[in-house]
Amino acid sequence: MENLFLLLDGFQVVFTLQNVLVTLLGAVLGLIVGAMPGVGSLAGVALLLPLTYRFNPTTAIIMLGALYYSNMYGGSFSAILLNIPGDTPAVMTALDGYPMAMKRKRPGQALFTSNISSFVGGLIGMLILTFMGPALADLGLKFGPAEMTALLLVAMTSIGWLVGKNPTKGVVLTLVGILIATMGMDTLTGSPRYNFGSMYLLGGIPFTPFVIGSVGFAQVLKLVSEKNNKVEAHLEEKLTIKGSLLTRHELRRLLPPALRSGFLGTFVGVLPGAGATTGSFLGYALQKSFKSEEELGTGAIEGVAACEAANNAAAAGSFAPLLALGIPGSGTGAVLLGGLMMWGLNPGPLLFSTQPDFCWGLISSLFLANLLTLMIALLIIPFLIKILTVPIKLMIPAITVICIVGAYSTSNSMYGVLVMFVSGVLGFVLDRNGYSTAPMLLSFVLAPLLESNMRKAFIISRGSIGIFFDKPISLVLMLILFAIILTPIVRGVVTKIQGSKG
Amino acid sequence: MKKTMLFIALVAMMVLPLFAQGEAEQAASGEFVPTKTIEWYCTSSPGGGSDIFTRAIIDIIKAEGLANGQDIVIQYKTDGAGEVGRNLVSNTKAGKADYTLLTFNSGDLMPMVKNTPNRIEDFTPLSHMAVDKHLIFASPDSKYQSAEQIIAALKAGESMVLGGSKGDDIACHAALSEELGVDQDTFSYIAHDSTGAAITTFLGGHVDLLISKPAAASEYVTAGKIIPVLALSTSRFPGNLSVAPTLSELGYNDVEVPNWRSVVGGANMSDAARDFWSDVFGKVSQTDAWNNDYINKKKLVPDYMDWKEYKAYADKFQADYLSTL
Repeated sequence: MENLFLLLDGFQVVFTLQNVLVTLLGAVLGLIVGAMPGVGSLAGVALLLPLTYRFNPTTAIIMLGALYYSNMYGGSFSAILLNIPGDTPAVMTALDGYPMAMKRKRPGQALFTSNISSFVGGLIGMLILTFMGPALADLGLKFGPAEMTALLLVAMTSIGWLVGKNPTKGVVLTLVGILIATMGMDTLTGSPRYNFGSMYLLGGIPFTPFVIGSVGFAQVLKLVSEKNNKVEAHLEEKLTIKGSLLTRHELRRLLPPALRSGFLGTFVGVLPGAGATTGSFLGYALQKSFKSEEELGTGAIEGVAACEAANNAAAAGSFAPLLALGIPGSGTGAVLLGGLMMWGLNPGPLLFSTQPDFCWGLISSLFLANLLTLMIALLIIPFLIKILTVPIKLMIPAITVICIVGAYSTSNSMYGVLVMFVSGVLGFVLDRNGYSTAPMLLSFVLAPLLESNMRKAFIISRGSIGIFFDKPISLVLMLILFAIILTPIVRGVVTKIQGSKG
Repeated sequence: MKKTMLFIALVAMMVLPLFAQGEAEQAASGEFVPTKTIEWYCTSSPGGGSDIFTRAIIDIIKAEGLANGQDIVIQYKTDGAGEVGRNLVSNTKAGKADYTLLTFNSGDLMPMVKNTPNRIEDFTPLSHMAVDKHLIFASPDSKYQSAEQIIAALKAGESMVLGGSKGDDIACHAALSEELGVDQDTFSYIAHDSTGAAITTFLGGHVDLLISKPAAASEYVTAGKIIPVLALSTSRFPGNLSVAPTLSELGYNDVEVPNWRSVVGGANMSDAARDFWSDVFGKVSQTDAWNNDYINKKKLVPDYMDWKEYKAYADKFQADYLSTL
């Protein structure tokens, strides 16, 4: 209850004209930055940080918090409408969002689903943050290298749900993803791997251009190769909010995955080194194990809801270690932390007690930003859908330019653009041959985390595998892992025995 | 076609001398004064230690009007773990090199020398600005709460894991285990991407000891979450870190691997520009803003060296490091 009063105090801080306007500004900027491929929250926050030096710290963090947060909404727009993820967590949104907009011709509903589930997921994350922030941060600390390894192994098995109809192809791409992820500097010893003497490859393959290429630019190539097929215009679509509303039944379908992902996402956001991207991957994978009314990947509402809710919840969850311990849970968190120091605050375990105004102001501004962003995002749906009425021949050059700018801006160099083009061709060829790129992207995200945690765990245990079974958290996770792996095998054997008896 | 070629040739003939003149003039006068925008490269992401260092200097240069009123723009080049940006600056052409600066730390030099053919000789050292040193921390819940106990346990063969960041932290661990005479299987090291990540692992109780620079750890000491046990320096640290003794107090030789922060230019920077910048950074290091808002706040040791002094220092540092590889 005490936290509730503190939160109300926080609202008192936020509800000044200046702070509300700043929240609004942050929300609008976040939507724009999020919708632009390549320019994710990290770049957005980093670019705006210098602008906020002259603000007082609370106002500054409110603006950046709102920006970071609303960014998670914006990323899904281009994912749904163009099949180009606006930011990396939106990769999974594209899997169902784009088919929902194109094949099912329900772009308005897809955007509506994404907005509502973002709101629900974020709200869950913020409520958990409000009532259990410090406890949550302490729970995150319990996840050392051994626990993280066990958790990531469980997460890796979720790739099994993403491989689709052809498991062999899925496994091949999972391994390709791991292989690509190992390029660059070894995180533990700093020795170069697979750099082929190139200075650029020393830093590895950057994730954002890789995703823009293998999903977005591959899409452009696909459009080009299909240019002779007649493409119907979507002009008959109702371009109003009313025409984009979901039915009561659809809202009921949306809620369970959004709630599940909300909790899962918050938890993932708190873990060291994992962020919104991992959150949305896992949210989607989790949904695969539950029943969806339409098959996932064909434009199911559940699919959009599961990943959107998870990434917003993760964004909220990552504030827990940042505020309670001064530890950033993501790259964006690290920039915010840098900002805190610039404004003369000392982020650390004392921040909640020495700067309550600041902490609770920030948390309550997240609530406000969530609400404001939802309203703006719903209002602009009709304008966004108009993008779909642009003829393909104009779309192709436009999307190409967006891909190039996005890939360039991640590291301000043509290297990103090159990576984008190469992975675009790769993605196109794979798609043509019936490979789905999702397992590759998921293993690309998880493999580096798994590698560094596993190696750290083995350093701690001096090479003994016992470390994964000694402590309760990792033991439970390992048992879950074995259960997941063994269940199909045991079930197969049992069916066989029963079959031979009968 | 012919006409166009002729036109281009004529224009080129008219324009080229202008460029030549411009350069000749500058060289002749012997004095360098910036007349256009300066590009300052930073090879780590915004918000990190290098970025804060760079911004602190730029703010002071602007406030004091030290760069002839010219604008200074930060370029973040993080490709290839920073090597791409460093390579770019080292190869900047003459002329442009006078307007190109690079934030350069010992944590940048070590991986560069290890993984690429670039050396400090491929740059023009300008100024050494400050030094950051390290401390070892233990947990208030751990068995051993002082350096004596920890060293005794290590010597008795008990194994311990030290967590920290990359670069200079790793070098500290190597130097410390050598001085104590413990092998690295007994006293092992886990490198994290940042000190923040190392603190996370340490607070969760997954490693036994933590190595960190003072600024990142100070708040946790105040909160009673970690206790400083050993100063890797020739003298004790001030403030709440002063309880940690140095190695020489415990009967060993002091171990220190200072992480220095400096500014360099490309190899092709003119001597006039080198003298100018070295002088500018000297003036920066004298300001109150530098000493109070940066050095004291970040708990660094101020140590300005002009280009001559710094060049000798960096050459020796590189030679020493190369001999350990």
